[in-house]
Amino acid sequence: MNNSLCPFSLLASVLLGVTTLCSPALAQKWDLATAAAPYKGTQIKAVFLDRPGYVAAQKLIPEFEKTTGIKVTWETMPYENCREKQVLDFTGQTGQYDVSLVDGVWIGEYASNNWLVPIEKFTSNPKLADPSLNMKGFFPVVLDSLGTWNGKVCGLPFDCYSGVLYYNKEMLAKAGFSEPPKTWKDILEKYGPALSKDGKYAFALQSRRGETQSCDSFMRVIWLFGGSLLDPSTFKLNLLSAGSQAGIKFRQDLMKYMPPDVVEWDHDEAVQAFAQGRVAMITEWSAFYSTLANKATSTVVDQLGVAVEPAGGDGKPHPALGGFSLAVNAQSDEKKQAAAWLFIQWITSEAKAKDYINAGGVPARIAAYQDDALKKKYTFFGPAVESWEKYGNPVFRPRFPEWPAVSEVIAQAGCEIMLGKFTPEQGAKTINQQVEPLLKDYVNGKKPKLQ
Amino acid sequence: MAAPAVIALLLIGTFPLLYALTLSLQKYRLTQTAGNGTFVGLGNFLEVLHDEDFWSALERSGLLLAVSLTLQVVFGMLIALFLDGNPWRRLRNVVQVALVVPIAMTPAVVGLLGRLVYNRDFGLLNYLIGLIGFAPRSWLGEPSLAMAAVIATDVWQWTPFAALVMISSLATVPPETLEAAELDGSGWWSMVRHVKLPYLLPGITAVLIIRTADILKLFDMPYILTRGGPGAATEFTSIYVQRVGFRIFNMGLASAQAILLLLLCIGLSRLYLRFVYREAEAQG
Repeated sequence: MNNSLCPFSLLASVLLGVTTLCSPALAQKWDLATAAAPYKGTQIKAVFLDRPGYVAAQKLIPEFEKTTGIKVTWETMPYENCREKQVLDFTGQTGQYDVSLVDGVWIGEYASNNWLVPIEKFTSNPKLADPSLNMKGFFPVVLDSLGTWNGKVCGLPFDCYSGVLYYNKEMLAKAGFSEPPKTWKDILEKYGPALSKDGKYAFALQSRRGETQSCDSFMRVIWLFGGSLLDPSTFKLNLLSAGSQAGIKFRQDLMKYMPPDVVEWDHDEAVQAFAQGRVAMITEWSAFYSTLANKATSTVVDQLGVAVEPAGGDGKPHPALGGFSLAVNAQSDEKKQAAAWLFIQWITSEAKAKDYINAGGVPARIAAYQDDALKKKYTFFGPAVESWEKYGNPVFRPRFPEWPAVSEVIAQAGCEIMLGKFTPEQGAKTINQQVEPLLKDYVNGKKPKLQ
Repeated sequence: MAAPAVIALLLIGTFPLLYALTLSLQKYRLTQTAGNGTFVGLGNFLEVLHDEDFWSALERSGLLLAVSLTLQVVFGMLIALFLDGNPWRRLRNVVQVALVVPIAMTPAVVGLLGRLVYNRDFGLLNYLIGLIGFAPRSWLGEPSLAMAAVIATDVWQWTPFAALVMISSLATVPPETLEAAELDGSGWWSMVRHVKLPYLLPGITAVLIIRTADILKLFDMPYILTRGGPGAATEFTSIYVQRVGFRIFNMGLASAQAILLLLLCIGLSRLYLRFVYREAEAQG
């Protein structure tokens, strides 16, 4: 057998190699401008909130528009109206918002009603999928809880929250504390008495009726001493368990170290009270760091400390987990869907994560949080990353479609417990009575136990 | 000639009402696609009538209506009588213009202003009571104070409306009647009771009907001021209906609640016409 290459074979190999290298599909690198070329002039509309992460996005959008020729508009709305407007848009099939804003607890409702386009439609299209999308580059717990439902990714994490403890170093030092509290019991037994005086308070837990009460206040304390809302295996309510009751009672005990009208406080009031030095500590979303660390909006910038939320009875922190993903509205036309996807992919990309952080946003891209310069500049990085990596609870709040209705019940009863109208036990019974009918299909096995 | 107006009226007024009536007889949850549109007869109405939260909300609306409307009519009448008998024409003109300002404000702005006025830490009200030695109160954080705050805000915004309507009513009192009463030696109270009140009654009836409907559907101001809280202390029927309709998206139930409220409103209007306006006719 002759092993030498004949001249024709050699020529064929060279030609094949040249052809392969010149093939547009493989040789040409994916870039946003080229991918967006068919959609130049397309106008898409996004749902935004009046929060730092959205102001940050607004600063970056001109760059996207310049690169792609796609026009991005947005409607800024209060959180409380956000779901209402979007559900009416989905059910009215008006396709008004091409880029949907999905709170982690709405993903079950939106995805199970097929209101969102699973991202597979775009990631499987080489013309639209950025090869550097890197889905593994998101903090897994954040991607799971904000953008994934029943194993399908429908949204990419955008405005990402971990609950952290913000504390005023100077107020703590004056009261004799060199470090923030390690446990919630420390707040109740040591920090509370020492810091609540002269019209100032040790702590504030935003508790206004609505998602603020149900998520930021009620669910935050439920987990602290071994409690939970549901038994995950049966979906029966667990609020009368010793652990859940201990958490609710703990909140009642803590109220003496909180402003008396804290039951009417939303995020704004809590953040403002801390920013003005009237409250020594708050447990708030990482997204408010940019407000508290900005001298234009805070008087405590130099005293600002950030830590992981204190530990519960089991010695482990149970930080709140929340935030929003951006998703493509299934009712938008194909062209707008593609344009919306390109925008979502870009604004949540690793490449833009640092710019987004510097503009005041909180992304879920792991790589951005490993940047030494940024770590030094943004002191919330350490606590937020530790919370997401070590303590993140993807079912901090259940995400099934019934959550908004469940949340309404918890919000009302939770406030009434705080006001003393109900004891923790009566409050739990009231919630059980109203929530059990909403969850009966899960309990009796008619629906899969997804949360 | 009247056809376009009739068509517009049907489209704007009658169609939504009929649509709400239809929805109220159906199971209709916007967020659940299965089973929507199923006819349930009076099921939604029965559910509303057995709903403790609805009755509690109705009680709170009743309290708001009774206190706020009474204060608006009384203060409105006092202002109207003060201005009617006031010899200083310039003062009268200035006050009349000033009366329009609260009415012209949108309820959302009034709610936001209220949040500033009643704020515990830097609100105007706590500053003012502090000047006379009282400790600050959580106006929006205590259930009874929050209700008082909503009532006070509604009275502040809508008393001028009652006053303006009654000023118009007083303008219809014939001067010769007033002169005759004066010649008869009628005192101030007698003049008000026997001469001016009969002319005021149609205006009072109008205020009662319009403000009753307004208060029963009052939403923006209390929603922004308290969002129905603390707890459910200021959750009036309108806020409750909105919660059922646009947070739980149970449109069938919310429509039934709205229809019942409409019936209540019509019933109250009939009562006003029967007892207040008939009084005016009898005295006239």
